[in-house]
Amino acid sequence: MNSLLDVRHLSMTFPGLRALDDVSLTVGAGEIVAVVGQNGSGKSTLVKILAGLHDPDPGSESVLGTGPDGSEVSLHFIHQDLGLVAGLSTIENLDLDQMHGYRSLLPAPRREERRHAEKLIADFGASFDVRRPILELTAAERTIVAIARALDGWRHPGNVLVLDEPTASLHGDEVQKLFVAVREVAERGAGVIFISHRLDEVVELADRVVVLRDGHLIANVARGEFDHDELVRLIAGAIGSADTEHGRPDRSDAVLRARGIRGTTIRALDLDIHAGEVVGVTGVLGSGREELASILFGCAQGEVDELDLEDQRVTARSPRRSIELGMAYVPGDRRRHGAVMTMTARENMTLPRMRPLRRLLGWLDAPAERAEVQTWIERVNVRPPDPERMLSLFSGGNQQKIVLAKWLRNEPRVLLMDEPTQGVDVGAKAGIFELIAGAAAAGAGVLISSADTKELALICDRVLVMRDGELAVEVNKPDLSEARLVSAALGRARTDGSRVETDEASG
Amino acid sequence: MERPQYEEQAIATEDAADENASAPNHRRDLGRVSRALSFRNISAVYVFIVLFVLFSFWVPDTFLSGDTWRALISSQAVTAMLSVGLVIALSAGAFDLAIGATLGFGSIFVAWLLAKHGIPIVPAIVLSIVAGAAVGLLNGLLVVRVRIDSFIATLGMSSILLAMIAWISSSQQILGLSNSFQKLGTTEIFGLTLPVYLMLAVALVAWYVLELTPVGRHVYATGGNTEAARLAGVRTSAVVVVALGCCGAIAAFSGVLVSSALGTGDPTIGPAYLLPAFSAAFLGSTQFRGGRFNIWGTVLAVYVLATGVKGLQLAGAPIWIPDLFNGVALLVAVGLAKYQGTARRAGAVKRLLRFDRQ
Repeated sequence: MNSLLDVRHLSMTFPGLRALDDVSLTVGAGEIVAVVGQNGSGKSTLVKILAGLHDPDPGSESVLGTGPDGSEVSLHFIHQDLGLVAGLSTIENLDLDQMHGYRSLLPAPRREERRHAEKLIADFGASFDVRRPILELTAAERTIVAIARALDGWRHPGNVLVLDEPTASLHGDEVQKLFVAVREVAERGAGVIFISHRLDEVVELADRVVVLRDGHLIANVARGEFDHDELVRLIAGAIGSADTEHGRPDRSDAVLRARGIRGTTIRALDLDIHAGEVVGVTGVLGSGREELASILFGCAQGEVDELDLEDQRVTARSPRRSIELGMAYVPGDRRRHGAVMTMTARENMTLPRMRPLRRLLGWLDAPAERAEVQTWIERVNVRPPDPERMLSLFSGGNQQKIVLAKWLRNEPRVLLMDEPTQGVDVGAKAGIFELIAGAAAAGAGVLISSADTKELALICDRVLVMRDGELAVEVNKPDLSEARLVSAALGRARTDGSRVETDEASG
Repeated sequence: MERPQYEEQAIATEDAADENASAPNHRRDLGRVSRALSFRNISAVYVFIVLFVLFSFWVPDTFLSGDTWRALISSQAVTAMLSVGLVIALSAGAFDLAIGATLGFGSIFVAWLLAKHGIPIVPAIVLSIVAGAAVGLLNGLLVVRVRIDSFIATLGMSSILLAMIAWISSSQQILGLSNSFQKLGTTEIFGLTLPVYLMLAVALVAWYVLELTPVGRHVYATGGNTEAARLAGVRTSAVVVVALGCCGAIAAFSGVLVSSALGTGDPTIGPAYLLPAFSAAFLGSTQFRGGRFNIWGTVLAVYVLATGVKGLQLAGAPIWIPDLFNGVALLVAVGLAKYQGTARRAGAVKRLLRFDRQ
């Protein structure tokens, strides 16, 4: 077969991390190649190298072939965020890339533009009003607009379309619409690289599947030679023992007891966290695990029917109230939510609780504050140990330690964390794990929501695996392994294809 | 996941280099002192010295006279007080573009109460301050409840206030303010008028609250990152509303002082105070606290700007000089702050390179 893209011996080394190791793959004309693997397996690095964002190690080679008509092959990328302008219509978004009709200051030929846009959309089996702004379209329609835009300029058939997690935000029937469009692209003679977490889709769509694990190419199998279970085994490595389905007996010493947690994705989840326990939550993107911690803390859209902290019923829910009741929340996005980057380490650390430092006339006891912060900086081992340094000047790992210290200082009963080691270098990770273990040993209940199954397997007493907004599997300590979690997270979705619509946006 | 990790590695390396550099303690203290006296930290002080020396030689007779300085300090007290109010709002992350109009409103409102309604002096002043506070609180509610950007909310409010000023004054000066009211703005103590001391008192309180209390910490946290502050339990909405309320109250009180000093309620004075206040607050933010809005830096900035303007006027500069000077100062101050940001990053890059070579 005529290959459009030929990648040979691709390696990529970051300091202290080999993200890709000798990966080779080819994409032929009309072929849909799926690349699967879990977080950190090297999928996104591969995409970034193809897009030219990273330079691979010397010795790597990627060759663009020629199309059937001898023209040069070009690569087109559609990233997860699609890169569309939400307020503009389909017509206008298509125009951003490729103007139709006249240039310069002459008025745009409206009818022609519209016909062109409608034809493009229709080519991919979709029909909707191209004059409506993008934000009014469904997620699948948006993806189709993005594909149409990428393909709009194609004057020749030799092209490769790279789709990075295009279905993460799509519902079941929408996925089908997208697949129609992707197949249409392939039928026109283009190659497609399809990056996905969802194995059902991969099995259905791909002509060939490339499996990555820890930067290595584990398998490169053609359609018919793989099935769902086989892929799970390849992605996760060895698989542990059978499911321990949920139904763990209620212990009496729950520090947090939540019934009926509902959010934009989560549907009626129950959760108990016991004193001294480290509970992990994982699941693929869109499974609902991203919003669990923030809903419990009272800062995300969502509701909890019953929420008890030890024996206290929590009613009015706001971050402020949650903190007063002994909860702490380390958000995943440190820059935006976790800390005030323009303030010093000292000011960040004492922000949630300054009452003990308050003296006559509301004066803040600065010497006492400095002494306390100094103690914490030593305890969590912040480098450099300078409390007056602006937070943005610390490295990611040290920033996270400061954020953790800020909450541990409150001696929380429940510590909620989203991706606690995101953007943290290897050295600081161990320190953060120690702090988490220390908090649990001090009697706090800890909840860690993370995509990093390896870490969860390492530090958690039990891990909840979510799928489509529900608890799929609960894995307890003796059975806890990365492979076990991955296979649970990637487990088969319900076969009726209906990922239930989320309706309410209350709260 | 891979990419951020890579970046963190780079920063971690930079930190390691930093650690090597700051090992001995006394060297760090020495660094602190030199940093405190560095041009970057107290540039306004150096600019002031330069201006002072320059005009001392250029126009020594008038520039070096005590009367000139007494008049300068007194005449700028209102601008300084207004800037202090603005710093409170800016620290909470809210722009108050209505601050000039609020001053104008306070000034005409107190004159209106006194001259047209015969209300006694103290209640009239209190009512004016309350009215200013109400305007500020309304600004705050528009920002946090209706979720209008503070820029737009206060811009709209500014126009509404100008309309109200014209309405209650019929666009005429309000005359006939009593002598005892005028004393508020003109009484001299140790050669300086009363507003100077009032300004210092307001600045002192604002400084105390912003710098030395948990409330102030909440204000700066809200201005620094509203979402992170909220997640740390700060009532960010209340902070913004109250900060704008204080800003409005101080602006109205400044207006009262203007009416008192002029002896009339002038419906046209408000907007002219807007730009000097912003220039001073932004120039002030480059002083002392490394990019943070702060009270004394702002007060200093008011007087440095005024010194420059005064010197140029004494040297025979035309009447449009103050506007030019304030405009340029605002742009330079903000440009300087941006430059400091990039310079710090550049410094980090340099440290990294040095570390690599070792």
